Amino acid sequence: MCMELQLGLAPPGSDTWSRPLLKLGLYEDINVNSKKRGFDHGYLEDEFSAASFKNYEKGLVGWPPVKTWRRKKLRCQVHNHMTAAENGCCGGRASNSTYVKVKMEGVVIARKIDISIHQSFETLTTTLMTMFDIFDENRRSFKLTYQDKEGDWLIAEDVPWR
Amino acid sequence: MPKRLVYSLPDEVLEHVFSFIQSDKDRNVVSAVSKSWYEIERWCRRKIFVGNCYAVSPKMVIRRFPHVRSIELKGKPHFADFNLVPDGWGGYVLPWITEMAGAYPWLEEIRLKRMVVTDESLELIAKSFKDFKVLVLASCEGFSTDGLAAIAASCKNLRELDLRESEVDDSSVHWLSHFPETYTSMVSLNISCLGSDEVSFSALERLVSRCPNLRSLKLNRAVPLDKTANILRLAPQLVEFGTCTYSAELRSDVFSNLAGAFSNCKELRSLCGFWDVVPDYLPAIYSVCSRLTSLNLSYATIQSPDLIKLVSHCPSLQRLLVLDYIEDSGLEALASNCKDLQELRVFPSDPFDAEPNASLTEQGLVAVSLGCPKLQSVLYFCRRMSNAALVTIAQNRPNLTRFRLCIIEPNTTDYLTGEPFDVGFGAIVEHCKDLIRLSLSGLLTDCVFEYIGKYAKKLEMLSVAFAGDSDLGLHHVLSGCESLRKLEIRDCPFGDKALLTNAAKLETMRSLWMSSCSVSFGACKLLSQKMPRLNVEVIDERGPPDSRPENCTVDKLYIYRSVAGLRFDMPPFVWTKDEDLALRLSP
Repeated sequence: MCMELQLGLAPPGSDTWSRPLLKLGLYEDINVNSKKRGFDHGYLEDEFSAASFKNYEKGLVGWPPVKTWRRKKLRCQVHNHMTAAENGCCGGRASNSTYVKVKMEGVVIARKIDISIHQSFETLTTTLMTMFDIFDENRRSFKLTYQDKEGDWLIAEDVPWR
Repeated sequence: MPKRLVYSLPDEVLEHVFSFIQSDKDRNVVSAVSKSWYEIERWCRRKIFVGNCYAVSPKMVIRRFPHVRSIELKGKPHFADFNLVPDGWGGYVLPWITEMAGAYPWLEEIRLKRMVVTDESLELIAKSFKDFKVLVLASCEGFSTDGLAAIAASCKNLRELDLRESEVDDSSVHWLSHFPETYTSMVSLNISCLGSDEVSFSALERLVSRCPNLRSLKLNRAVPLDKTANILRLAPQLVEFGTCTYSAELRSDVFSNLAGAFSNCKELRSLCGFWDVVPDYLPAIYSVCSRLTSLNLSYATIQSPDLIKLVSHCPSLQRLLVLDYIEDSGLEALASNCKDLQELRVFPSDPFDAEPNASLTEQGLVAVSLGCPKLQSVLYFCRRMSNAALVTIAQNRPNLTRFRLCIIEPNTTDYLTGEPFDVGFGAIVEHCKDLIRLSLSGLLTDCVFEYIGKYAKKLEMLSVAFAGDSDLGLHHVLSGCESLRKLEIRDCPFGDKALLTNAAKLETMRSLWMSSCSVSFGACKLLSQKMPRLNVEVIDERGPPDSRPENCTVDKLYIYRSVAGLRFDMPPFVWTKDEDLALRLSP
């Protein structure tokens, strides 16, 4: 399995986007039943979203002072770049890092974890639950998803760990 | 005798003399000499710059200057670039276009920055100005390709269309095809901000092929690399070129075609774009490198070795924009190869990661400051700095005019001594006597502001974040910096005292922005009352500031001088001392 950069945690059948955004109206026309599309859109929008963009550590808006426009362009590129590298196209940095970014729906700040220290979805999920302060009883209501080469969000447990 | 002679010169002669005076500052001085000079000057002023669109009303401008041909307007405050200004704040250009449509039928040029432009405005421009030549929309938003289509279809003499960094909505109209086949005047076209669906390549090719005066062309990302050669062959006279996506499967035929096309462009001096760069294609530009004066690689995610190779082919470089992938080693190579360098901007490749992902430190900047004697303008993002480095830079380069340093983590200290950067920035302002722009970062106490107030006499724009200890810091700046025009502050413990003590200073400046500081609403109201020619706007999305105690601090504050009074287009989250506040609150 080729693990792409992003994992996501999303409560199944979620019907509200409770992201702390000013542009709440933006999400009204998204088909929220299509979790896959909605989450993807939501995730990308969140990365670029004007109001909610925060620095991982401090939750600071607008810091460091990099123009939104520039951030967007660079972010799109890095994503395409990694995809190209995966496809065997030349160029780009080979990432030796086994760190993967994880986002939970409804939480603005993403986290990074080292995939290589986990051997199974169980341990991965446990670590993620602790990271995002999700108690055991709520565990069942969250689903682990990952984004593949094509940018589609798929359920992680559907594929073997390796 | 000679004095009387000057004053008795006929108006036409004076007008002719004035026509050689282009700068706004000089024109303003001329108009202040006497009443008759004021009159003559205002009838023949052709170019207007309005740094804050709310400082004056369009009617007032038109009344004083009846024959304007070129206008430049700026809207939102600079910190809007970093999402600190909520959507809907303002900066609408339509009222200006509406007034000018009637008053300036011969208007040729409109340049806008950080304004909200609508399709309606663009359509009005297209319809109203018969000899329209230049449209520059920098960091603007609110319009779509429909508006662009109107411009393309109607402006027969359009020479320049520059949409740099604007947000354009795609209305699925093939707007480029709206340039008629008879249209051949394009000199400068910048569509780098457009998305993939918004440009038809064949229309672009046809346009380029019939515009022999095209000097500057900046393509958008979606144009594939193998088509770039076609475009270049159609326009070998280009001086400035922005590539599209610079990535493709490596094929020798595509490469040699591209290299051949570049080598034809003998006038090429400036390159930018380089989205999705594949390093193996970079040598295709080597034939033009020796003549390049400007290179923007700030979207090129390529590593230091490739950057070093490229830079060492460019001895004439005056301006370089690059990502921190260049690393200290790359900057050292730059310092030894590019002795004409005047401007350097190093952007962070991963600004939100606490860990550095490139080996770029203060050493790189020190190397460039030492090796490049003409270096004047610096923008540098890094994660590590020392006072010693800043002092060295200041001593090496007293000719710096713009110095913007962003140490990414707020409140970072000198990595060698653990101290704040007061001494380092103090050295910068002390040695660089012509400094007009400064951005601070890292841990800073009130001391640095004392140095700034004392030495930075030519400073016009200052940006401050997470710095200072008390009102004294702000007071030093407002009382000491004689040339200060724009001050923007965020997350600093500056409050009412400094502001109210220096109220008069604010009228000598274009604007002051303060967010997440310690200014109370009470002080804002007081300031408003004391200074009728200042607009004091409180931006607060928590509801009416009056509903909280007066000493409650405001979220964001934007103060600017204005002869137009309070603006009429304030959104619900902007609060002023307006007596009609009660009316605005009612549904």
